[in-house]
Amino acid sequence: MRDTRDKGGTKDMNGRKDEREMEDMGGVKDIKEQKKIVKTLTIRSLRKNKGRNLAAILAIIMTTMMFTTLFTLAQSMGKNMTEMYLHQSGSKAHASGKGITDEQVEKIVSHPEVKAGGRSIVAGLAENLSLAGRQVEIRYGDEQYARDVFAWPEEGRMPESRDEIALDTLVIERLGISPELGKEVTLEWKPDMGSEDKSSDTFTLCGYWEGNLSSYASMAWVSEDFVREKCDVIGEPADGQALGLQMMGISFADTKNIQEQADRVLSDCNLSELKFTENLAYMDETQQSIRMETLPIYGGMILVFIAGYLIIYNVFQISVASDIQFYGKLKTLGMTRKQIRKMILGQGGFLSVIGIPAGLIAGYLLGIVLVPVLMSRTEDALVSANPIIFAGAGLFALCTVMISCLLPARLAGRVSPVEALRYTDTDAGGKKKMKKSTNGATLQGMAWANLWRNRKRTILVISSLTLGLVLMSFFYAKNASFDVEKYLVELAVADYQIDDATNSRVSGYDSQSQTISSELMADIASLEGLEGTGRLYSSETSQVLSVQARENLESFYDRENLENFESDYPDFPSWKQGFDAAVRGEETIHTIYGADGIILDAAAGDAYVLTGTYDADKFATGEYALAIGPSVNPQELLPTYSVGEKVAIENREFTIMAVLSPLYPMTNGMSPAFDMPLIIPADVYTELWPDSNLRKYYFNVTDENMDEAGGMLREYQQTKAIGMSITDRQSMIEQYEAETRSSAVIGYAISVVVALVGVLNFVNSMVTAIISRKKEFAMIQSVGMTKRQLRRMLTFEGFDYAGITLVISYILSAFVVGVVVRIITEGGYASTFHFTLLPLVICTPILIGLAVLIPYICFKNLEKQSVTERLRMTD
Amino acid sequence: MSILSTTKLIKRYGKEPNIVNALNGVDLTIEQGEFAAIIGTSGSGKSTLLNMLGGLDKPTSGSVKVDNYELGKLNDEDLTVFRRQRIGFIFQNYNLVPVLNVYENIIMPIQLDGKKPDQRFIHEIVSMLGLEKKLYNMPNTLSGGQQQRVAIARALASKPAIILADEPTGNLDSRTSDEVIELLKASSRKFDQTIVMITHNPEIAAQADRRIRIEDGNIHE
Repeated sequence: MRDTRDKGGTKDMNGRKDEREMEDMGGVKDIKEQKKIVKTLTIRSLRKNKGRNLAAILAIIMTTMMFTTLFTLAQSMGKNMTEMYLHQSGSKAHASGKGITDEQVEKIVSHPEVKAGGRSIVAGLAENLSLAGRQVEIRYGDEQYARDVFAWPEEGRMPESRDEIALDTLVIERLGISPELGKEVTLEWKPDMGSEDKSSDTFTLCGYWEGNLSSYASMAWVSEDFVREKCDVIGEPADGQALGLQMMGISFADTKNIQEQADRVLSDCNLSELKFTENLAYMDETQQSIRMETLPIYGGMILVFIAGYLIIYNVFQISVASDIQFYGKLKTLGMTRKQIRKMILGQGGFLSVIGIPAGLIAGYLLGIVLVPVLMSRTEDALVSANPIIFAGAGLFALCTVMISCLLPARLAGRVSPVEALRYTDTDAGGKKKMKKSTNGATLQGMAWANLWRNRKRTILVISSLTLGLVLMSFFYAKNASFDVEKYLVELAVADYQIDDATNSRVSGYDSQSQTISSELMADIASLEGLEGTGRLYSSETSQVLSVQARENLESFYDRENLENFESDYPDFPSWKQGFDAAVRGEETIHTIYGADGIILDAAAGDAYVLTGTYDADKFATGEYALAIGPSVNPQELLPTYSVGEKVAIENREFTIMAVLSPLYPMTNGMSPAFDMPLIIPADVYTELWPDSNLRKYYFNVTDENMDEAGGMLREYQQTKAIGMSITDRQSMIEQYEAETRSSAVIGYAISVVVALVGVLNFVNSMVTAIISRKKEFAMIQSVGMTKRQLRRMLTFEGFDYAGITLVISYILSAFVVGVVVRIITEGGYASTFHFTLLPLVICTPILIGLAVLIPYICFKNLEKQSVTERLRMTD
Repeated sequence: MSILSTTKLIKRYGKEPNIVNALNGVDLTIEQGEFAAIIGTSGSGKSTLLNMLGGLDKPTSGSVKVDNYELGKLNDEDLTVFRRQRIGFIFQNYNLVPVLNVYENIIMPIQLDGKKPDQRFIHEIVSMLGLEKKLYNMPNTLSGGQQQRVAIARALASKPAIILADEPTGNLDSRTSDEVIELLKASSRKFDQTIVMITHNPEIAAQADRRIRIEDGNIHE
């Protein structure tokens, strides 16, 4: 055994030695032995702290569960939204171009950077009346193209021979046939867009797939032979023509800098005259907006981390503090700071091994339940089960646990062996030196003093509880401020709105269309409980703008305004053409609306008047018209006729009474790129255009008759007017609820779990505080405090906790709701701010109940041992 | 050759105006292989001195040299390693780790040091102390005498140069006390170990090579 000393003894003993040297003094080190004893101690001391473990594991499970849920949501929402944008843009291809000849296609496809290229040749648009309201494009497409545009037949195959066709279920349904291969389909279309001559072709259905309404158009695939036979040129057809237009979609190895990659390919192929545009779904802005949508979820993760930290830290801090003498003993016997730290972190790790998998499973299950609820807008929400979610959530939870254990581990490692024996679980420093009081020891006073024996812990528990309560108030107030009525007025002004089949037709609205027939009008008129109606007609006329209106246009659209407009408006070139013509004094299209009843009242409502004043009685005389301007704030200068100007419509003179902001339920539909919309009374309109039929019709019915009216409309739609569109307020409300649900559910879920964590923290602190004071209680009981008094003192402590938490929560919540929520909601398009602290009011009695109940239960347990037993107890 | 020495060792506890002078400039030298008994009244500074010698507590001023190491120059971590390699502690309240059984308690300091226990040597100590049948018992199932024997076995297991014992017989009856002292003496002879022992018992003190009396933080021999 002497080797130890000989080796050490010959060294220069005055210098400080680094640890490695010290360790070496004892000869060969066996790390396995070191690990073994640290592990043994870790596991054995874990077993000793069963209550602490339970609290810690529960906290870890909740933390992991929330992380998993949030990760699942973030992933699934990101995935679903990308999918949604892809459907909206209509293609998965990274970039697309049109007007490309066959040789050019070959060149581009053979470029090494192009990983996939699909092509399609357009024949025309299907014009069958039953397809009104849905754009159906008759095209040839290769496999790549069909797959890219989500139009690959799930049943059957793509057409090969001249008389074959593949369609989606939306089109098949509208055509009134059953989705069966071999069915005959007849499509009407215009080979020459410039003439009214329609061609009618009959095909056999050779394939179909599930249609998606979020795609802007449906594809009707025909064979290449069919298209090539019909057209003279393939590539870029003459202006205004579609037949023979060849399109391409190309994809690269990755989605970075798609526009640059596409431009490079084109210049490499010497095809700089062509233009490829980047897919909207892959644009930085889109990806950015997807990230913005998922941002609140990442904010939620920070909250979960804070809540997790507050409790796990507290649980470990309490446990280390109460075992401090044990750690001091270990240090006396030669356990180093590092080994003790490893031991505590090891305990955290061990509890994580139990808590994290349980939390992952719970979180995934919760995610499965929540994702469809949140994503109810898309028909089939994708629940992401990506292993990254579990790896990420597990890692986050483990990090939270380890960070939470860090400080307690340091505390245990730093303990000085001698001081450990004197350690009491209170804050170091800042102690009261004196207490000037002659009131004696009242129970309330003692309870209050006890509360502050460990200031840090009390603050921690109160923060943890307050966090949950304030979050709850925030989310509740935010959700409560959503205003259904405000939201609906923008979308639906009546219980039911019906639109003519041609309202949204690509080739424009036809005022002769008979969708809203006199038969339907009679049916509606005979409905029971009919409360109010509104008519909307519309026609287009061409006339030159007044000088005043032209000046208004030019001053409103100054250069800056035009530039802004250009960047947000996709159809800007056509608009600019119309605008320039109008300013030059050429004939301009005027859309004349004839309106009355519900729709007129809504469109001319106070909130929509930009300038002038609307007087219903004066308007009814038929001498006045209303102009519709852009959707801006009320102001004098607007790009239309000025108030008071006289305008002739069909040789009848009207005075402009006011300029209105456009109301979606009125103006939604196909309209020219540049027009001057005006509103005149419906009765005057029918005098001017006696042949014109209704474009839209609005009516309200009493609640009891809602179902009957809806049923009647749907039956009419299915049997007599397939292209008619029905907007009912009830389903709008449902859609609205679906839209607001996501933020509500996430918010409530987080705040409830955070509040639960707070309660767990409170319970843990209270229980451990009472257990660790067993001896002290025995002491005060031995000098004369009765059980009743002791119980009352503990109850007061609980009250104090609850009271402080509530006071702080009320103050903070009032601030958060009154200031933060007000700012968020006041600018919102569908919200009205209400001040409410309802969740806090509901939680108040619950919290007070817990504050009384927990000490009571703990005390019941304590009572089982006699005073002397407790006094004699040593650890 | 001196193995333990202190120079002008001062230890004060507390702050103004309640300063306690636990040690008042102690100069002490103990030779290798010596069996020294520290005696004194309660509160005289005996335990403080022992804690200083073992590096459990830091002096206010002055220095402690153990086995040629200047303890004041070692940091906390090095001090712990130093202690587990060179010093065996025996406490009045045994300081056994309650979650470990007898055998695990005995070999714990060796394992913490990253060494393999010398099985033959451990066996020798265990049989010398009569603990063969209790190896797998948990500490709380043992009597006071048995627990103190476990603590002694633990102190000896790592073959330390110095054994510091703080009233090792304080909680034991006189027969067991005698046995424990005999064991310590035998071990010290066999392994050429230095023993510094605090005791209240004059009979035990009489068996020591040297008696050091402490009064009010000063030593008198």
